[in-house]
Amino acid sequence: MDRECALLLPGVCAVLAGSGSSLPDDTSLEKLLDWFTGITEDGGSLLETCPCLLKLISTVVHNAASDPGVLSFTLRLTGLLAATEESFKTIQEHPVLNKVFNLQHWQEAGLWEDPCLRIGWIQGLRSMLQHPKALSFFVQSGFIDPLLQLQTDTSLFIAEAANQMLAHILLFFQPVPPAGCKGMDKKEKGDGMTPSSADYTAVVKSISGYLKESLVPKESKNVRQSLQTLKLLALLLAQAGPPLRDKLLQTVGDSLEELVTAGSSELTLPLMDVILSACSSSGTDERITRLLSSMLNINKPADLIHAAAAFLRRGHHDTVHTARAVRILLLPLDIMTGQTLLGTISTDEHQFSVVEQLKSKSSCISMICVCLSNTPQITLTPPDVLPCLPVSIVTAVLSLLRICSGNSPSSSTGCSEVSRNVIGSSKVQKCALEALTTLTSSPGAKERISEVFTVLIQYLENPDSDPTVLHKSYQALLKWTSVCTDFSFITDQLRHDLVEVVKKRVCDMRWEVKDSTVEFLGHLAGVCDSIKAAAEERDASEALLGDCSTTPLLREALQDSESYVRASAISALAKTLTHRWQQGATLTEEEPEIVSRLLEILSQDSEGFPRRAVVQYFISWYSSHSPPSSSSSSSSSSSSSLLMQSVRSVLSQGRADLDWEVKVHTLVLAELLLDEAFSGHPGYKKGSDSHHASPHAYGVVSEQAYTLHTHTATHTEGAESDLAVVVEQGVVSVLLSGLVDCDRPVALKACRLLITLRETVCPLSLGALDASAAMATVSCELPGCGWGREILKILKMKKSDQAKEEDIADQSGLNGAEEGGDSVCVSVCEALRSLGLDERMEVLTQSSDHIHNSPLSLLQDILTASATHTKPGEEVIVDCY
Amino acid sequence: MKLYCLSGHPTLPCNVLKFKSTTIMLDCGLDTTSVLNFLPLPLVHSPRLSKLPGWVSKDGSANLQKELKECAGRVFVDSQPEFCLPERELLDLSTIDVILISNYHCMMALPYITEHTGFTGTVYATEPTLTIGRLFMEELVNFMERVPKAQSATCWKNKEMQRMLPGPLKDVVDVWAWKRSYSIQEVNSALSKVQLVGYSQKVELFGAVQVSPLSSGYSLGSSNWIIQSHHEKVSYVSGSSLLTTHPQPMDQSSLKNSDVLILTGLTQMPTANPDGMLGEFCSNLAMTIRAGGNVLVPCYSSGVIYDLLECLYQFIDSANLGTTPFYFISPVANSSLEFSQIFAEWLCHNKQSKVYLPEPPFPHAELIQTNKLKHYPSIHGDFSSEFRQPCVVFTGHPSLRFGDVVHFMELWGKSSINTIIFTEPDFSYLDALAPYQPLAMKCVYCPIDTRLNFHQVSKLLKEVQPLHVVCPEQYTQPPLTQSHRSDLMLELQPPPMPYRRCSVLNLPHRRRYERVYILPELANSLVPSEIKPGVSLATVSAVLHSKDNKHTLQLVPKPPPVAPSKKRKRVLEEPPAVLAPKTLLSGAVPLEAFLATLQNHGFTEVKVEETADGHILHLQAEDTLIQLEEDGTHIVCDNNEPLRTTLRDLVLRFLQKL
Repeated sequence: MDRECALLLPGVCAVLAGSGSSLPDDTSLEKLLDWFTGITEDGGSLLETCPCLLKLISTVVHNAASDPGVLSFTLRLTGLLAATEESFKTIQEHPVLNKVFNLQHWQEAGLWEDPCLRIGWIQGLRSMLQHPKALSFFVQSGFIDPLLQLQTDTSLFIAEAANQMLAHILLFFQPVPPAGCKGMDKKEKGDGMTPSSADYTAVVKSISGYLKESLVPKESKNVRQSLQTLKLLALLLAQAGPPLRDKLLQTVGDSLEELVTAGSSELTLPLMDVILSACSSSGTDERITRLLSSMLNINKPADLIHAAAAFLRRGHHDTVHTARAVRILLLPLDIMTGQTLLGTISTDEHQFSVVEQLKSKSSCISMICVCLSNTPQITLTPPDVLPCLPVSIVTAVLSLLRICSGNSPSSSTGCSEVSRNVIGSSKVQKCALEALTTLTSSPGAKERISEVFTVLIQYLENPDSDPTVLHKSYQALLKWTSVCTDFSFITDQLRHDLVEVVKKRVCDMRWEVKDSTVEFLGHLAGVCDSIKAAAEERDASEALLGDCSTTPLLREALQDSESYVRASAISALAKTLTHRWQQGATLTEEEPEIVSRLLEILSQDSEGFPRRAVVQYFISWYSSHSPPSSSSSSSSSSSSSLLMQSVRSVLSQGRADLDWEVKVHTLVLAELLLDEAFSGHPGYKKGSDSHHASPHAYGVVSEQAYTLHTHTATHTEGAESDLAVVVEQGVVSVLLSGLVDCDRPVALKACRLLITLRETVCPLSLGALDASAAMATVSCELPGCGWGREILKILKMKKSDQAKEEDIADQSGLNGAEEGGDSVCVSVCEALRSLGLDERMEVLTQSSDHIHNSPLSLLQDILTASATHTKPGEEVIVDCY
Repeated sequence: MKLYCLSGHPTLPCNVLKFKSTTIMLDCGLDTTSVLNFLPLPLVHSPRLSKLPGWVSKDGSANLQKELKECAGRVFVDSQPEFCLPERELLDLSTIDVILISNYHCMMALPYITEHTGFTGTVYATEPTLTIGRLFMEELVNFMERVPKAQSATCWKNKEMQRMLPGPLKDVVDVWAWKRSYSIQEVNSALSKVQLVGYSQKVELFGAVQVSPLSSGYSLGSSNWIIQSHHEKVSYVSGSSLLTTHPQPMDQSSLKNSDVLILTGLTQMPTANPDGMLGEFCSNLAMTIRAGGNVLVPCYSSGVIYDLLECLYQFIDSANLGTTPFYFISPVANSSLEFSQIFAEWLCHNKQSKVYLPEPPFPHAELIQTNKLKHYPSIHGDFSSEFRQPCVVFTGHPSLRFGDVVHFMELWGKSSINTIIFTEPDFSYLDALAPYQPLAMKCVYCPIDTRLNFHQVSKLLKEVQPLHVVCPEQYTQPPLTQSHRSDLMLELQPPPMPYRRCSVLNLPHRRRYERVYILPELANSLVPSEIKPGVSLATVSAVLHSKDNKHTLQLVPKPPPVAPSKKRKRVLEEPPAVLAPKTLLSGAVPLEAFLATLQNHGFTEVKVEETADGHILHLQAEDTLIQLEEDGTHIVCDNNEPLRTTLRDLVLRFLQKL
């Protein structure tokens, strides 16, 4: 804690002790507590540094009129202060500790009704219970019973906190820390930390007794208590070491059995959670295994399916039960689609009850969805567990998709009374499509690829498909395309159907559909690229869409009235053309038209998304085009010149955009230009920030290798001409205008790039004279208004600083710009050196709220608020945002 | 209550309900699918059609070269198209008292019924139904009369001949009953018999029943009908829709508590959701225009076209179709577009409120103002000078057998960049296209049928809970092509009564009550006596007077005062005085109490025997039987009148007298 804070703290304490009502906002107490917690965690002792806190506690606790919020804060603070054994002893010397946590005191004062106080009580104790002394105090004060009562508190937060606390006590003070025990700091648990076994035994005894008692609901209204108890038990069993675990299981075993037999639907999942936790920690306890078996044999089909799904999710490797769970989950699919997934069906009675359940629409849909979402995992289980080949499951999902769209052939053998429940249900359709997408990785799935394509195209054609269903269909189609290695199965008919449906969907009435379609075309081009990279002979796009070029469709979409569609069309175009750019292919007729349309969007579009996409388009193009070499054909250079020409306009447009993301993208583009210009210079560090570490979705980074210039003597001369090029391209203007931008990410990025540039062309380490001698000739023009003026101001300020030292010198060069209007030329190097980039960088890297978020400011706020509060009639408005 | 079913077409119904003393015809639909067997009527000479080869049977035995032409493997009748009329032999149509029309699609057979059967009754319909129905009839007459056919084919209808014909022609039934279109005079005469009604207006029919139209939500002025007496209620549901399109929403609550609900006019496309189809329509249209092709939409001149235009109004900007012209060609195009704007009270709330802004309810007004939509009475005249391609043309008739659409089929059919989009569900598009084969034009089928689907109707029926449902047999099983779709049929408890053409159904509802009025004077004279708590009875002597299906109890007229006479002879001739009516007995004889009473009166030897209806008491000493039954008591004793009287009095002690 710094000096200033330590000075202010007593004042703050006085404010808090007085009345909490004058706090600037309701988060200040939390912030204070966070600060204290931070100090404690760093090893500081609050008690020593701020004795005023103890005084605060005793004042607040004795003041019956204290605000509940402040009281709650005090309770938690006390717990925090008493978190180490030493400080606990110190506090215990004061009479305050007993008073603070004294339940009776709060109840008599009528404050216990306030949930704020109850949670403060729990959290205070929770912070304190880090050492055996605290446990003794806890046990001796008889807090265990009230805590158990709070477990079913009306406030969910309190009930949850009580549960966590109970788990903490049992787990933290376990006699022997288990090897895999998580969640506690073992360093703190030295030998001296072992609590007296009497205290611990007492706690274990009362908690486990309570668990046993409250597990089985006596009446239906007690279900909530059972739920809470099950949650607690699951927490405990997942982390408990052998003695505690065994003890717990021994105590609650009977009750668990009783619960399993009772088969309450509400409790199925939490119960399963407990059993699975016990399973994973205890391994092969016979009783638990038996319980698990009973859970996988309960009579209510809907619960059973949930239990089986929960079992599979946990990923146990118990063959018998996995096989059972798999059968349970496949049965509804088997019934509905008539695909024999299970061979002979186990018990007719069970099947009968499942069929009955499936006849109700709502439970049918929810059951089928659970089954579907588990199918991908089922196909990955070992073959000896699966009752059928994984590929049959793919077939079943396909049949289900057909049934859902009403396209199932009448010859299908599924139960029609059941299948009518899912016809047209977009929920089931979505679930099934998701499953189908994931099923690509199932063994043998590829055998069904032709069928998959047929079904997916049917879905795309279906006029009643929901936009989200269409979107999922596209995703599935892409995924299956990406795993496909052989496109020979695609017939002309299939291809024709796909082309027609895509053409139709880009004209859809719903913009979501148009957007998904355009996006699909882009992604498909991306998939094709990756297939090409794998040296695949056949082109996937060609295989899927034949000779239908998608570019005209995408160009049409550039005119769309919905901005999302325009943006998607732009990025799809970039993906479609990337391959051509990489190959250095000749410029097509339509490319200049596309470019002019894109520039039009950048300058005129009222929405941000398309403008961002335009800049990203040029980023893609720039980073994937092959730089013109002397041997390149004239056509390729015409492509290059179009690129360079448009990049220049993009830089000047993007710089002036109102959207900060457009500006950041523009800076990325500028960075690419810098990279290319200076990549050969030894001083140049490519990748000024994290941009390259996680490339942007659209920013395809070229893999070109840079050859280092070997002639060090010439490097400054080279740099000079490169700098001139960069200035001429408008890169420096972009960077400088970015630097004074009011959006922090823009300024930050620009600042980083400027520093990189400075380090390359005129590093500070080189003498000023040295650099200016080499680079002085390169200058750039600053406009007399806007950002140019801002830059000039900075330069002037720096200059006048210097001038103070060097006596007042001639400033006419900069004075001219003062009044605005005319543009001014400044030397790039000089500007780079005198803009104070490093200081600026430091300011920018700090988060924007750092000044206002310091403990000092918090304390000041509290004090100011209380000061103004005492003056009546003055309303304090504090911006909590 | 009887129902005579004169049409087998579920969406073009024609049924007759006999209810109480009235005979009511419900709708008068004309089945126009018969025209698909005929060759199209071209507006200008079509060399292709005139060159089609005549049909000769394979063995040459039947030669109908002049009447039948062959095209792409199918045979068509080369004659003025004919329609399949409602059945006219099932009952005497001149006995029909009223015809209730539910919407303009279901009245096209009206002239055939009102003009040639001796019909003398009244037709009830709403104003938009009459107005648009008239437009449809005028359009039909216009289509037929402007290209008269010289010949009229009749030989093929010969039974011997028909048996030898190929394909669908062989199987069509009742071809002799097919009739050519009516004339404009017949239309005018038929429509002059229409009486306009408004929603919920009650119309008394001979005092026996009351009929009242309810909004059905399907088209402008479309209605369902309630037909009720004091104690019975029959609902007639025909062509209803729950979708929010332009018409006033459907009135469902008034259908509650029906004894019988006659359900017709469900969607013909249960698997095609109108929203999805509208989307398909737009995207196919845009796709064709973008590729430089023309779009042909064969449609009726009212109804769905309003929704299509409204949808396009919103769509054209987002799809960059702002410069594409839309043409609506029909002899009644102008009237249809204008009438739709003035029927404000029949529109959905949303559109009604626009009238007060004031703004035209339908956006096609704006399309016309901005010259995006142009309408013409036919392809002749102004249209040809303004015609610009690529374009979208809306025109009739959806069967592609007559009307301006025939011309566009001939014009655009050869090019694959053009598209025909079918939106009307009444005709199979494959059959409609058959005489145009081979066809290069792209065909898209987007049937838009906003009528109730099975899901909606089962929900509706669950809500209104009729006792019995009567419907066409097509609704009681899944469609033939989708036999596994058990969701595409009506499943009700009790199961609906199916009907087909020529069925006569005895509706299961039995009339049990009739309302009878009592004159106040008579009511005043009654002396009710309470026979059990809350139930009082009184005997009435009155004269029942029935007139105009109203029944009234009136005082018995007093005998005219007898003129005093001195002749004794006259006294003898006086009418016998009206005997005071015998008292009526009610109640039951409790066995135990009765036995005790008998005992008290000295009848000791009583043997009781239980029978199906009551008991037999055998007084052994007196050799007498007393039969106690629910509605009678018999005392059987041989010629012992004092004993009988004693016993009778004992029995009477237990009964109440009125």
